[in-house]
Amino acid sequence: MSAGCAAFLLSAAFTAGGGAAEVQTSPESETWWSPGSGREFPAVLSYADERGIITTLNLKGPTDTRGHPFFTALGTNGRACITCHQPADGMSVSAHDLQARWQATDGKDPVFAAIDGSNCPSLPQDERASHSLLLERGTFRVARPWPPVDADGKKIAPQFDIEVVRDPTGCNTSAVYGLHGKNPAVSVFRRPRPATNLKYLTAVGFVFEPKNGFPLPIDPESGQRMSGNLLADSRAGTLKLQLLDAMHTHLETEGNLHPEQIQRILDFEGQLYTAQSVDFVGGKLDDGGAHGGPETLALSKPGVLKSSKDVQWVEYSPWAALATTNTAGSSDAQRLFRESVARGAAIFRDRTFLISDSSGLNSMNFGNPTRDGCNFCHNMTRTGMDVAPGQVDLGTTNEPFADSAPDLPLFKLTCHAGETPHPFLGAVIYTHDPGFALTTGRCVDIGKITMQSMRGLAARAPYFSNGSARTLRDVVEFYNRRYNIGLTEQEKQDLTNLMSVL
Amino acid sequence: MCVKGAVLFSLAAALGYAADAPTLKPVSFIACPVYRDTNQGRKSGCWLADDHESGVRYDIGGGRAKPQIGHEVLVEGVVANSTDVCGGAVLAPVYTAVLETRCPAVMLPPENYPGRAFQVSAKSVLPPMDVERPLPPPPYESQQWVIQFNFQSDFLLYQYSEVILDAAARYIKASGAKRVLVTGYAATKEMQVSGRTLSEPSALAKTRAESVAEALRRLGVDPRQMHVSWRKDPEPIASNDGLEEPSKRRVTIRAEL
Repeated sequence: MSAGCAAFLLSAAFTAGGGAAEVQTSPESETWWSPGSGREFPAVLSYADERGIITTLNLKGPTDTRGHPFFTALGTNGRACITCHQPADGMSVSAHDLQARWQATDGKDPVFAAIDGSNCPSLPQDERASHSLLLERGTFRVARPWPPVDADGKKIAPQFDIEVVRDPTGCNTSAVYGLHGKNPAVSVFRRPRPATNLKYLTAVGFVFEPKNGFPLPIDPESGQRMSGNLLADSRAGTLKLQLLDAMHTHLETEGNLHPEQIQRILDFEGQLYTAQSVDFVGGKLDDGGAHGGPETLALSKPGVLKSSKDVQWVEYSPWAALATTNTAGSSDAQRLFRESVARGAAIFRDRTFLISDSSGLNSMNFGNPTRDGCNFCHNMTRTGMDVAPGQVDLGTTNEPFADSAPDLPLFKLTCHAGETPHPFLGAVIYTHDPGFALTTGRCVDIGKITMQSMRGLAARAPYFSNGSARTLRDVVEFYNRRYNIGLTEQEKQDLTNLMSVL
Repeated sequence: MCVKGAVLFSLAAALGYAADAPTLKPVSFIACPVYRDTNQGRKSGCWLADDHESGVRYDIGGGRAKPQIGHEVLVEGVVANSTDVCGGAVLAPVYTAVLETRCPAVMLPPENYPGRAFQVSAKSVLPPMDVERPLPPPPYESQQWVIQFNFQSDFLLYQYSEVILDAAARYIKASGAKRVLVTGYAATKEMQVSGRTLSEPSALAKTRAESVAEALRRLGVDPRQMHVSWRKDPEPIASNDGLEEPSKRRVTIRAEL
């Protein structure tokens, strides 16, 4: 959320030219939800963000949060689910609001818990610098066991050795928390994914995951196929497993949760739908024939592959021809913005470029390079996730494609002789985060990261799993640079505007 | 027993070359592939490779698996009578396998070659999960399916393998097969291509078989039904595509009633 939004927040109502809108937003003092606050979580909850208003629908709301396990500190560090899944931040948490929270609490809020809210628990916790990765990148420490373990807890024999090349946090070389500690672990730093729009995360459009070549695994508990769209490294195949993982790591819960607590959390997060609903310039996002906003997400079928029939970002297609339609009452700025959004959607759908050296994509049978577009991967309607889910190495964490990141750890991974190396980076890879390979132990998976929902982006900067893109424009610039797309300034702005209204 | 040789027999048709009856002039060679960026939309673009012995430049982009620039490629194909739209004589059918050996990464501009749009046969694509499909009706008999692999690879190729695996799993389920024999093969016998000796490691037979067995397990085939084995140096499977070596790199699934 932008500090510049304060006046807007306090106004509690917003009128945009053209699509006259009155959207109630919560006062700034109520932006941060603390565990055990006892506040009612309403049926509709809106907050201002950098570009307008983010709205979360709570379909079975209002919800009494008193004693509700999503809102209750169930562990030893004072955190609850809500701590890192804030409605003002699209049910994730933004670096901006983390900085504000540090300021407001002098770093005492449980979100800064030593275990993963600091660069390393061994650092002096009262110093801001010890939490720099959370405050600047919005990333939490994720300690993955080394060697990796499978779903049954059995050790996997990794195909590669891992060395710590650079350790600015000190955690990977720590005698307690490091790679050679009592419980060897690899500490990587990742953004929390939004706990909302979950039917899209768990939707399985197709049985096969073509990047791995196998059918998606089946959850033995439910008998349902696991989507593969949860968590950056896909270490949990179901929302329940994700929940339990988060409880024992991020919340430091001792003992087991009661099944009723688990179900209440799953039920609550399953009834949330979040999207940008208003843009400062573009006005209401369901105006002018468009149907942006969370209602469309709540009503739509998940797991639908984009096609000529199911058009990607069709929500904003009506804004493509505003110059020729009745736009009485709308300002030029609003009309121009809306047309820009529609152009951005068209670029996202139709612009092709050469995709190269991306493990998971070019290592399939489409060749390297292969010509395709944004929605080659972001192919699920409504959220831009992957219908045939899987993990891809875009180069956000692997050198030489990753952006410079002296504040992050750097690992050298050396694939064993006889093992299939990374298809494009060879047998020796330098990376800030091995990603999916920390789950599988395979060289071909080094640097692969699970795609995530594109909804609510304006409320939850920064972007990419390691927070390397500070703004939506930075996301566009990364892709433009990575795949030499050759976007014009106008096209970059159009794509940025599109992402800001999702 | 009915043998689902359709996997091999239908290849040319599946790739859209039905109108171009192969002249059965098999060629095989190793080359450094060149990508020509003809833009006919998604997944278009041409792949070219020169056979050093004959000096002929071939269009090798019609196979299930495309090459990768910067890596040599093993090409096995049949010269077809198709129109040259990429800058090379068309091989169809054609099998290309990426080799570990590196070579310069080369891309060419279109240079007035139109290229061709990417097409995939409807028979090579599985419908979404929410599309209801009836199980295969009786009568049932023992059946066999064949899944081919790229040279030196156990990767289950997209828009090919999953259709066969899905068909096999559904038939096994519908027929109540008593035993499912999954047999992996590796072409361990040496072959000479472009002056080099190539062969597959025998261990590949095992990993191919295990990949298929795992895929069938995830599709609901009871592991206790499956008997997984592997063999080296197999005989080729008779086919009408004029190519024997690619047929050796396979896994067979046999459902016994």
